[in-house]
Amino acid sequence: MSKRKKAIFVLVWLLCAAALLVSSLVIGGASPEESIKETMRDAVLHDTNKISLFGIMDVNPAVISAYTVTFILLIFAVFVRIFAVPKFKTIPGKFQILLEEAVGFFDNLAKGNSPHKNYFLGAYVFVAGAYICIGTLFELLGLQGITTSGRSITLPAPLSDINGAIAMGVTSYLIILSGGILGNGFKGVLSTLKEFSLPISMSFRLFGALLSGLLVTELVYYYVGLSFALPVVVGVMFTALHALIQTYVLTMLTAVFYGEVSEKTPKKEKIKTKKRRK
Amino acid sequence: MSLPLNINFQQILLHMFNLCLLFGGLYLLLYKPVKKFMDDRAAKYKYADDAANEKLLKAQEAEALAQQKLKDCEIKIEQDMAKSRADAEAEAESIIKDANNTKKQILAAAEEAALREKNRMINDAREEIAELAVKAAEKVISEKAEKKVKSDD
Repeated sequence: MSKRKKAIFVLVWLLCAAALLVSSLVIGGASPEESIKETMRDAVLHDTNKISLFGIMDVNPAVISAYTVTFILLIFAVFVRIFAVPKFKTIPGKFQILLEEAVGFFDNLAKGNSPHKNYFLGAYVFVAGAYICIGTLFELLGLQGITTSGRSITLPAPLSDINGAIAMGVTSYLIILSGGILGNGFKGVLSTLKEFSLPISMSFRLFGALLSGLLVTELVYYYVGLSFALPVVVGVMFTALHALIQTYVLTMLTAVFYGEVSEKTPKKEKIKTKKRRK
Repeated sequence: MSLPLNINFQQILLHMFNLCLLFGGLYLLLYKPVKKFMDDRAAKYKYADDAANEKLLKAQEAEALAQQKLKDCEIKIEQDMAKSRADAEAEAESIIKDANNTKKQILAAAEEAALREKNRMINDAREEIAELAVKAAEKVISEKAEKKVKSDD
């Protein structure tokens, strides 16, 4: 492309962009059906917009998001199992390296933090990591759902709903509890119950982190004026980074606590203590 | 019972049910086969590594054994060489001793022969001298007798 043609292309491109920007600002959008207060409140509480779950019950949009994410992950897993895994080679290709890195990362995380019992933990943190990461990135797809009131809404990240975050936190806590029982029996249960604040902290950490991103994103998308260029930064900051950070934080915490409670406590020697008392 | 933040136990359970489904599916379809492949490959490499180490160990043992044998051979060679040297020296001494004896015998025989020759020559010379003396005496006597005859005449 010659310099002249290049200059003409850039000029036309900038003019088109400017024309679209000006027209969008001048014409304006349809007046929002919800006020910013309602939008924010709904983003936090999910009490306004409900979606029907196969006509059985009305649920928060995050439940639909969660099942959609699970569906996507399971379809991906089925394809991988059928088409990729049988073709695995000793010297891996790019896709195989990606899968092996993902599995190896969570497996090593489990082994590193819980050297005694880690097979089940490895599997759990892998699944939890995949769910949190893909679940958070899912928000970027902007899939639409129809609410019971007939309004179209963007499906949020599953964990931006407090119920999803609590489910994740409680499940992680139950897994830690199972590690305690497997490792130390009744003592393991006690040592796990000592950390009674763990499910709450895990749930609200996830919820808070994802909610903050969601609120900022909602705010940005609510106003037309903020919809230029800024969503790219916001999307990366609050979605892509949160996906990675929250995945790492929750899986790391689960692995650390699992390792702590499943570590066998040495039995105290009663005879020696008696002698010392004498 | 309404809880703050729109917490709903039914939806929590729905989320947990979803997690349960996801766990089972992802574990069976993705995690287990990939991990099995990785573990098998690690085991294969470990087996190969162990086999290589075992072979290396055996090679090192064989090398040590060969070195020991080489050392033993060198010691044996040195011992044999020392023994051979000692034997050769002993044999040389024996040969020298025999040669000396032979030399002495030859010298003694030569001396004896020379003495015998000397004595024989001396005896011959004596006999010759005696004959010459007799002949000289006979000549002197005959000359004297002739002179006497002549003078008598």
